[in-house]
Formats: sequence, structure tokens, C-alpha cells
Amino acid sequence: MKKAVLYINQFFGQIGGEDKADFEPEIRTEENGVSQALNAALKDIEVTHTIICGDNYMGSRQEEALAFVTGQLEKIDFDVVIAGPAFQAGRYGNACGIVCKTVQDKFGKPAITSMHEENPGVDLFRNDVIIMKGGKSAAAMKKDIAKMADYLNRKLAGETMGCADDEGYFGRGLRHQVWPQGEAPASKRVIDMLLKKLHGEPFVTELPIPKSDRVPIAAPVKDLSHAKVAIVTSGGVVPVDNPDRIQSASATRWGRYDINGMERLESGVFKTIHAGYDPAVCDANPNVCVPVDAMRDMEKKGKIGELHHYFYSTVGTGTTQAEATRMGNEIASKLKEEQVDAVLLVST
Amino acid sequence: MKLKIHNFKVEEIRFGQTDSFENGILTIDKEAALAVVRNVRNITEADLEIVNPGDMVRLCPVKEAIEPRSRTDGRSIFPGVTGDVDYCGAGEIHALKNCSVLVVGKHWGGFQDGLIDMGGEGAKYTYFSQLHNIVLVADSSETFEQREQQKKNTALRWAGMALAEHIGNIVKNLTSNDVEEFDFEPLTKRSPEVMKLPSVVLVLQFQSQMENPGYNDLLYGWDTNHMVPTFMSPTEILDGAVISGSFMPCSSKWATYDIQNAPIIKDLFAEHGKTINFLGVIASNLNVALEQKERSAIIQANMAEELGADSAIVAEEGYGNPDADFILCLRALEDKGIKTIGLTNECTGRDGASQPLVSLDEKADAIVSCGNVSELIELPAMPKVLGELESLGRDGLSGGWAGDEKLGPSVRPDGSIIMENNAMFCGDQVLGWSVKTMKEF
Repeated sequence: MKKAVLYINQFFGQIGGEDKADFEPEIRTEENGVSQALNAALKDIEVTHTIICGDNYMGSRQEEALAFVTGQLEKIDFDVVIAGPAFQAGRYGNACGIVCKTVQDKFGKPAITSMHEENPGVDLFRNDVIIMKGGKSAAAMKKDIAKMADYLNRKLAGETMGCADDEGYFGRGLRHQVWPQGEAPASKRVIDMLLKKLHGEPFVTELPIPKSDRVPIAAPVKDLSHAKVAIVTSGGVVPVDNPDRIQSASATRWGRYDINGMERLESGVFKTIHAGYDPAVCDANPNVCVPVDAMRDMEKKGKIGELHHYFYSTVGTGTTQAEATRMGNEIASKLKEEQVDAVLLVST
Repeated sequence: MKLKIHNFKVEEIRFGQTDSFENGILTIDKEAALAVVRNVRNITEADLEIVNPGDMVRLCPVKEAIEPRSRTDGRSIFPGVTGDVDYCGAGEIHALKNCSVLVVGKHWGGFQDGLIDMGGEGAKYTYFSQLHNIVLVADSSETFEQREQQKKNTALRWAGMALAEHIGNIVKNLTSNDVEEFDFEPLTKRSPEVMKLPSVVLVLQFQSQMENPGYNDLLYGWDTNHMVPTFMSPTEILDGAVISGSFMPCSSKWATYDIQNAPIIKDLFAEHGKTINFLGVIASNLNVALEQKERSAIIQANMAEELGADSAIVAEEGYGNPDADFILCLRALEDKGIKTIGLTNECTGRDGASQPLVSLDEKADAIVSCGNVSELIELPAMPKVLGELESLGRDGLSGGWAGDEKLGPSVRPDGSIIMENNAMFCGDQVLGWSVKTMKEF
């Protein structure tokens, strides 16, 4: 009998609702609704432990939460980790994704979760983790659990697994050659696709071209001399102690730093933590990346209304498009809140 | 143009005292055949073997595959290559089906050469494991390229063509009751019923990216590097107007056999007059400089437009750099409102995570994909090897390596191998055989 560990949030762990979202992680051996349903569907696999953690706790104290998860798993004999299903719950989806990814990276053991396609966790973790396509709400619990269990039953039995569409998970961007049973030769597939395209019928390309996510260029600022301008950079400039612990590559965090009253960024006060370029010049003069000095000059000359009191910073190197989009949206909404009119976006 | 192919289906190949074809049994006088081969310039050593589907035999380095054929009217089977330049695409030709002449290097391989397993789990990677094959294992005095990664393979390829014609001559004066007829009617002389159907043109992007002579696909003997896209009857392609070259990682190449039998052309003929009006072939090419790529894309798109094509199929013989030519052609056709389908393979890396084509465009919304050139393949040792297996790792075959920190050498001391799909002989079968496709995991 193989052993599975289940990860669920405070709600499905029957701790409580939103008021219990700060619930510190715990590990339990007694069954719960989700583990019971799983055990009914799994063959030769049994859920032996359940880790329950509040969604806010995982969101705000992720490192501690993950340290708890990995610390507990180190003490347990397990073959697989199952997280969720998370349905459309965003924070829960994020938690399930990061738990599965951490388990895979640290223990080299399989992990699986399930989410609805609109769960933001899908875009963040689909490249790393098997995320089964799940329902919108807990009404789909039985169905979603059956899909995860069916996948695991065959996977842990050593069967050859099918492609993402056949298995019902979100594709991880890994394309491999296959010989589907009864596949028609390429010449027949071409003509079939051609006739469908000619007659305006739906067809499925065998090589989907990713949609390039182009953002339209913003309209020019009408009157720069009255505009509040902020500096945003992916160049990794931060106060020397890197208070937000922004990663040097593949960043998932960004920071907002006060420059009110500063004429320029001083070396030794600010530096770059970006691992994708030689930091020497930027560390000696951080204004080459975050040009507070030049912007102050423009401010004095009346070319811009004012320089915003804060600049925003993250690291661009190795950062996934999904993370960049999330951070960009978060920064943009903050800038709107702060009534910034224009942004100087400095890349490196 | 009307082309008649008289088919003679081979069920078994034997060596014997005299050449004959009877009841599906092809008997070859080995010494007479070898005399033809040895007569080809620069051939120093040659031997013939027979391999059949399921035989536990590994062939490497495989350089070419040719269907044995003959004509009764004195023209050679590859006009402009093995004989004088002459008309192609009309008249009669005799073909030995279900078999091919495979050309294998006795010692030296190169970037463009590949591997075939006739049996076992490796058989599925190439089309030629399904055929009865006459294998020419030969060496040449072309010492200038013995240690070059890029080889023209001139002596061996020309010996293969001479052998294919010699064996084809065995059925030259026989009659067959299996005759394929391909009637390509002149475009302005078609019936109103045919003219009403949506029209399709086929763009074939032949491999032509070597600037030096001797490596590229030849069209009536002419280097396809030195041409702009040209209009052809599809019967010319089936009739030996184009031969394969000696450049490009092997799984992406089209063997001469593939071109002689191009399934995409045969299937378009089958649909002609039923669901489509087949307008013929635009023989295009693949180029080095961007300006050359753009020139070919413009000319083939203009040609398709002037032919009145409602739709087009573009097939690419290669991957990597020529993906740019492929996407440019697709985009140029779509920009003219011609509904276009692409036919190619991909390079997604050993882990499958890389961008599938070097160049992408959202207008390329309909592509049939035939494989991943960099898929890692591990196969057990074979009891018999024809050629020199060591060449897979030693001579820079596109899917082999001498040593690798993690994977070790491609060819292991016990005869088992680890390689990329790149070195499977014409393995991606882009001209239409491929029952292999790509899926996301």
C-alpha cells in the first residue's frame, strides 16, 4: 500500500471559514471529508496524514508554512502529496501549487492538485505541477477527487501516462512526440485540416502558437509639467539590506521604496540584487538604473510636475511571464491608488 | 500531364544467378549489381545485403533511400542527375514497390546521415523498417571529406541511384496489372465542376541551405539554392525531377524515396475533383540570408495568388534556421487571404520545454506536426549491424555524440545506443507518412 499526504486549507480541514484563514499549519492523522473521499477512490494508495493550513497564513508567512510542511514530511514515509482540490479559490490554489512544487523539488516525489481554469494558481504553477482541470466550486469535489485518484492510481502503478489533454491536466508546456493509436498519416491530417479551414469549420492545430501578449502603447501624457511621475524598474535596485527579500533571479516579489527628500540614490544605501548583469556600475551609482538624480533635475526645471515619493523595484531575469504579469498588475493598481500619472519603466 | 506508374510489389528479395521478378520475388544477380556500383566514380569498396521488416539489424550511417525504377523510352530515372536533362512528369515509369535501395557508409558518417533499426523497438522511428531493402554498404576514395562533418556523399549517393536504376531495369519489360495514373490537367482546361471546388497549391520547401555545391536537393540536376520558387506539375515530383540532398539533420530530411512517393501529393490527387481542385506544386527552397528567405516567400505567395489558390499547404524539409523560411511563407500566403496549412516537425528539446519553431507567427494557425528532432531515444544492442555503428558518435551525426557528461557516449561498448531523434533516418516523414505527432504534457 502506497502512502499519500493530503494538503488542505482551514475550510476543508473543518477549522473554520475566512475568520480562521490565519490558522497555523497542523498535521493530523484522523480522516476528514476530503481524505475520506480520496481513500474511497484510490487503489493501493492510502491517505495517512493531512496537513491543514490557513490560506492567509500560507499567503503571508509562506516560508514558515512551507518549512512546517517539509519538516513534517521529512518525518513521514510517503509516496505522493495531494493538495486540494482548490476549485476557483485563488489563495487556496496558490497554496496548493506552491506546496506541490516544493514537495517535488525537495523530495523528488510526485505531487498533484486540481483547480478550475480561472484559478490564478493555474498560470502560476501549471509549468511545474500536475494540476488537474477541476470544477468551479466544492460542488465538483467528488468529480475532481475521482480525476486526481484515477491519475494517481495509474501513475503510481507504473503505467505510461498520456498527454495533458488525454489525462485532463493543464499542459506544462512540455511537447513530446507520440504515436497515438490509430493516428492517420500526416498527409491525411493535412488535408482534413485544410478542408475544415477552407469551409470555416473548427479545426485543431497540432502546433498551437502561443498568443503574444502585446500591451497597447499608452496615450502620451497630455501635460508632463503637471504629471506625477514614478520610477519602476526590473533592475533589482533595493535598499542594501533588501528588506523584501526580492530574489536575484526568477523573482516572485517586488518592493516599494521611499525616496522622499532624496536628491539622488546613494551608493551604500541602495544597491542592485539582480543576478543577470554585472552589478559594479549600478552599485557604485544606483542612479544609472533608478535615475532619481535626473528626475529631480527635471522636477526643478518644471519639466515634470513631481517625482513620486516611492519607486518600485523587482528583478526581471528568469522571471516567468505569469509572475511578471501578476507583479505588474499589483504594482499598477498601487500606482493608480497613489494617483501616479506616468511611469518611467527602467529595464536593464 | 499524365503519368503512369506501373507498380511491381516486392514480397521477397533474394540473390541469385540471374535477375528476375516473378510472383513478388525479386531475384538479383549480386555480382552484376556490384559491377554497376563499382563502375561509379570514386567507389572503392562495395557489398550488398538484404534486410526485411522485423530483422534484428541496425543500419548506420544511412545516407540515402531510393525506389528502384526504370523507363522504357531511354530517359534516365532522374533526368539531369543520372542521365541527360529530359522531360519528367509524363509518360510511363516502372517501379518496384514495397522495397528500396538503402545506401550505407561502410566507415564514414556525417551530420546528414542517419540510423535505421529494421526490427525491435527502434523500428517505429523510420519508415524504411517497413520495406524490403537492398542495402548497399560502400566506401569511397573521397578522402577530402572523410573527417568532415558535412559530407556530400557524392560517390555513394550516385552509386545508390545507379543501383536503383539497375534493379529497376529487372521489371523494365514486364507488365503489371497495378498501374497508378496521375492526370494533372492543364489549369485552364479543367471542367466547370472541378473549377468550382476550392483550389489548393502545394509548396514544397526543398533543402537548399548549403552555399557550396554538392549538398542540396537537385531539381532536374539543378542546385535548388540557385533558384527562386518555380511552378511544377506534381507528376514531375513523383517522376524523379527532384532528388534528396546531403545536408540537414537526418530526421528532417526527405529521402529521394520519400520524394518519389510523396504521400501528400498522392493524397491531393485522390481528393482532386472530389473535394478540391489541385493546382499543383510550387517548388520552393530554404535559404541562408534573410533577403533570400523573403524573396522566396514573396515569389511563392505571388505565384499562389496568380494561380488563384484558395488555399495552400507548405511543407518544410528541415528545422531550426529554415523555420524562418517556413513561417515567412505561411505568413505571406495568409496575408494574401490564402488559407494555409503548415507541415513540419519541431525542436522542443530533450525536455520538451523549448519553443517548437525558431520563428513563430499567430497567422500560422494550422500546422500538422510530425515529431521532435531532439527527443532522446535509447535502444538496446542489435545482433547485426550494417555499416559502422561507431560513426553515430564519432562522425558528428546530428543526433549522436562521442561523449556526454551525463549520458555517456552515444554508442556504448555493449552495442546499445542513446541518441536524439535527429539521427533517425528521414524519421519525421514530413512528406506525409508520419503517424507520429506532437502532444503537450
